Amino acid sequence: MDLPDGGTLSLHVAGDAYAKSVHKANGCGSCHADVDIKSHPPSRRDIKSARQYSIEQAGACRQCHEDAFKLHEGSVHAMRQREGNPVAPVCTGCHGSHAITPKTAYETCVGCHAAALDAHRKWLPNAGLHHEVVSCAACHAPAVLRMIDLRLYDPVAKQWVAEKEGQAQFEKLARSLDADGKGLDPEEMRNLLAAINPIGMPRKTLRGRVELRTNVEAHQLSGKADAIRACDSCHRAGAEPFRNVTVSVTGPDGRSVRYRAQDSVLKAPLAMVALPEFYAIGGTRSQLLDILFVLVLLGGAAVPIGHITVRLLARKLLKRRAGGDPRDKPPARDK
Amino acid sequence: MQKLYVHPLPVRIWHWINALGFVALILTGVQIRYVDLFDVISFKNAIQLHNWIGFALVGNFFVWFFFYLFSDKIRVYHPELSPMKHFRGSLRQIQYYGYGIFRGDPNPHHVSAYRKFNPLQSMTYQIIMLLLVPLQFFTGVLLWDLKHFSGAVEFFGGVRVVDTVHVLLFIFFTAFILVHPYLASLAHTPLAHFKAMITGYEEVDEESAGKPPAARSPE
Repeated sequence: MDLPDGGTLSLHVAGDAYAKSVHKANGCGSCHADVDIKSHPPSRRDIKSARQYSIEQAGACRQCHEDAFKLHEGSVHAMRQREGNPVAPVCTGCHGSHAITPKTAYETCVGCHAAALDAHRKWLPNAGLHHEVVSCAACHAPAVLRMIDLRLYDPVAKQWVAEKEGQAQFEKLARSLDADGKGLDPEEMRNLLAAINPIGMPRKTLRGRVELRTNVEAHQLSGKADAIRACDSCHRAGAEPFRNVTVSVTGPDGRSVRYRAQDSVLKAPLAMVALPEFYAIGGTRSQLLDILFVLVLLGGAAVPIGHITVRLLARKLLKRRAGGDPRDKPPARDK
Repeated sequence: MQKLYVHPLPVRIWHWINALGFVALILTGVQIRYVDLFDVISFKNAIQLHNWIGFALVGNFFVWFFFYLFSDKIRVYHPELSPMKHFRGSLRQIQYYGYGIFRGDPNPHHVSAYRKFNPLQSMTYQIIMLLLVPLQFFTGVLLWDLKHFSGAVEFFGGVRVVDTVHVLLFIFFTAFILVHPYLASLAHTPLAHFKAMITGYEEVDEESAGKPPAARSPE
């Protein structure tokens, strides 16, 4: 369809892509309620540009996603749109229109912000790794609470594990192992992995990511000047994201299926077995190693102090007994 | 007292750079690991400093390594091949540290140019220099760029395993740094060994300095 601004708007909807989308059960009318099937196609539509149409159609998204819409209104994207920026994304800018499937935030963000990784490399140590394990919104939506999501990964296939339609049992399994219902503790986490990994089969592991506690809040993106840059917002003991932990798998529809875990799973000695592939300085600090460090510090100070004390006491004693100075004896040499 | 040239210049340079570097690595390591308890420098600066010092010490390690590899001084690191002889010598040294030194007994080990380590030191330094220090550097390099070395990290069991080894060795080297200077003060004067590691010359008594190496063996 040719538009007055010289652009075009494709009216074709790819049926296969729509059938795989998260809206597949909704039907056309759920978003296109203004279309009367009896008079479709209309003889005239007042669409000035594809951009204008996308902005108008955001109202359709709002019908069901009011919470996300409101948060988006306060975001840097909405602010840029109101300022007249022609590429500031509305709903379809990030989510697409008919082929809406769950995607990672990273794929979505770098679709426009392709230079983001290079920009981060200028100041962020291990920028590539941070981009892999920290969702963009975890730093760029600074007002939102974050969490650690331990997601099941298949190292052989080199991809996240996804449950198949009709065979979803991850949540049921996790729930059955969570004896007190307070979330998986370190031992229950180990048991979960043991149940997932039959003996002799290639082992699936858990890889941690810093995510927002609710995906809806990812719409609350701020400008980059307000993004979290302080390393110790994560890399300190008891940091906020590490107090809320989930274990998850990709569900049959592509969305995460999550089950709560206790934050002790990140720091307990059993984490060496259950979570060998997830470690963040500070956030997952082992208390056992802290205790060992303190004991070694005390021991390291006690050995010289104790030894020199005994030496001085012995010297006095020998001097008193012999009436001479034992230091007259041949010299000792060590280091 | 006679002066004996025991510590060649490359070894002294390596030793003091290594000593200062390890202290700096421990301090920056504490800052990195315990940023919630100490706030001397920023986390990011501590990481960068830790990385630079770490790489400097890796280079410094090779000064030590190549010096001994291409010098006859490597004999100071040759292991005692007789387990019984080594065991007896170690026992004698332990007895000295734990009892004899309090009585004012002489040190059973006599330093010479090619036997500067007593049996306990000989075993300890072989383990430290050929196993623990390289392992600490290796794990440190892996942690420096986890993405680049992801294959090696995975091979060794994952980032938590690599980091735990690094932290355990950090704890060991912290203890070493505390105890080493004290043991170095147990010469005929408290500063004799420190001076020797600056000048290269150890002060030894005339009798042991004049003996041939075999006769000076403590065993």
